[in-house]
Amino acid sequence: MTAKTRYFFVGSALVLVLGLGIGTVAYYGGVPGGLFAASPGSEELQYVPQDAAVVAYADVRAVMQSELRQRLLKLDEESEERGRDEFLRETGIDIERDIEHVVAYMAPEEAGERAPNGMVLARGRFNAPKIEALVTGHGGRVESYKGKKIYTSVEGKGGHAGGQKMAMCFVEDGLAVMGRDDLVRQAVDRGGRGGNIMDNAEFRSRIEGMQGGSMWAVGRFDRVASTAKLPNEINDRIPPITWFSASGSVNGGMRATVKAEVQTDEAAKNLRDIIQGFMALARMSAGNRPEMQALWPELELGGTGKTVTIGFSVSSELLDALTKAGESRRKPGKIGARIE
Amino acid sequence: MNPSATDPVVSSAASPARTGPSFVAAALRVFDLSLGQMLWSRRTVFLALVVGAPLAVGVLFRVLEAFGIGPRVGQNLVSGTTVFGGMMWLLYLRFIVPVLGVFYGTALVADEVEDKTITYLFVRPVPRSAVLAGKYLAYLATTVCVVLPSVVLLFFLVVPMGKGSLAAAFPDLLVDLGLLALGLAAYGAVFAFIGAWLKYPLVTGLFFAFGWEQIALVLPGYLRKFTVAYYLQALVPHAMPTEGLGSVVQALFREVPSPAASIAYLLGMTVVFVYLAGRMAARREYVLEQ
Repeated sequence: MTAKTRYFFVGSALVLVLGLGIGTVAYYGGVPGGLFAASPGSEELQYVPQDAAVVAYADVRAVMQSELRQRLLKLDEESEERGRDEFLRETGIDIERDIEHVVAYMAPEEAGERAPNGMVLARGRFNAPKIEALVTGHGGRVESYKGKKIYTSVEGKGGHAGGQKMAMCFVEDGLAVMGRDDLVRQAVDRGGRGGNIMDNAEFRSRIEGMQGGSMWAVGRFDRVASTAKLPNEINDRIPPITWFSASGSVNGGMRATVKAEVQTDEAAKNLRDIIQGFMALARMSAGNRPEMQALWPELELGGTGKTVTIGFSVSSELLDALTKAGESRRKPGKIGARIE
Repeated sequence: MNPSATDPVVSSAASPARTGPSFVAAALRVFDLSLGQMLWSRRTVFLALVVGAPLAVGVLFRVLEAFGIGPRVGQNLVSGTTVFGGMMWLLYLRFIVPVLGVFYGTALVADEVEDKTITYLFVRPVPRSAVLAGKYLAYLATTVCVVLPSVVLLFFLVVPMGKGSLAAAFPDLLVDLGLLALGLAAYGAVFAFIGAWLKYPLVTGLFFAFGWEQIALVLPGYLRKFTVAYYLQALVPHAMPTEGLGSVVQALFREVPSPAASIAYLLGMTVVFVYLAGRMAARREYVLEQ
């Protein structure tokens, strides 16, 4: 082997080793700052318990500033602005600018429980004094718990869900948690340290596969389905799904991928066949209407082994058509004009 | 093993008392000799172009992103992870891996025949199959050491675009590297056999990679099982991009083997075709055109 050849192979091995080394470091914990910074939402996930059934993330700022939202806004701009202004006035929070991202989770429902067993964590800029004034102004209470202020709902005024008090707390500067009182207190106890969902290897691998989208959700379908109480007709016909995940990104239109995991390769094949059948049926029903075909979202069915994936994108043309339809519905027609 | 005309040519038949090196030692000697020949040959330019093109595209994406023109599907901005997945499918799996397999695999024997140097190799006291095995290993080392680092560089170039996470995409990169190595091994073995068997293997190889494989994959039925791509595509961790009618049809009839079965088939295919290529090289009489 000549020296030139040897240098080539050494160089090649160096690139590989260095690349894989950096990737490994990024994978196990990340490197602070810039390119290798922990992905958005990862700090909030420290407050999500290990046994959560579903966890979801939304990049609120990206969604609010997307072209998609601007288009949807046109459908009902007036009431949207009114609602936003009212919320800003009451809480001091401009949803469009002050909230960066939101993480929410749902824990498996325990027997006899009627309250929503979940919590929302919002990262952003909050006007704490204004929020405190709002809570106390509506009869809520401010309690001190392990050095944090917990704002709890007022009893007997609908602030209770299924007999449980609702609460809110700023667990960190710029991080608000909202949910059932006991869960909020658990979040304060946890303090973003240890025993969180990222210690659950099954969740961790799936969550890490979701990064990059404007929003995503990962969950145990079997646990959610038992809570959702799906009709027997559906439960009997679809193969038992164990995990599901969905991720999407928005801008001019929307692009999303939904992934389901089942127990066997055979079940995955059956599920793919069922979905393919539905897709074909839907396409057939739109077959004699070219305008509907043009608006049809691009669907892509895939997956390997025990997974089934459906990717779809909603084009900006479809959104334009919906916007136009919304606008024409709002404009008074001939009958409407006569009545006016 | 310098193919010099002044070297004494001693065949095992001419001197039964002298025993040649073992199969493994002979294959490693040929491997060592062939490495340099493969790396610094006229094909190097082609290799550099094929592997450099995706990197150039990656750099272009980054420059465009810096100017606020990120990669899009329709009007939607797509993340770097999706772009990387698409490039893996469209550039590496469907083009680079088969094309390297065709050009290098078919040339293992054909080049020696064309250059009329095969005699120098085959008169040495080493098994002919060891010559082929050594050359095949050299092909594998060369292509793997060129393709894999380029994929790693592309990963770092493209994945961070549009909020893509390196950490999240890293496990997929490992799968990609593994399946590319497996793909290069399997395609190389198939084309090494074609190269050892046929007189004009390049045309046949190109037809196999870009004719037969493309057609068989979109046809319903079992024909796809006689392709390498069928097993390779089953291992890809990224979603299949829909860039044409072929992909749509393929997605419609998509029935994929399990990852374990795919790996077993690809490894089996590699071993069987390298063996067949060695056997063909050992038995076939290569006629050098004057």
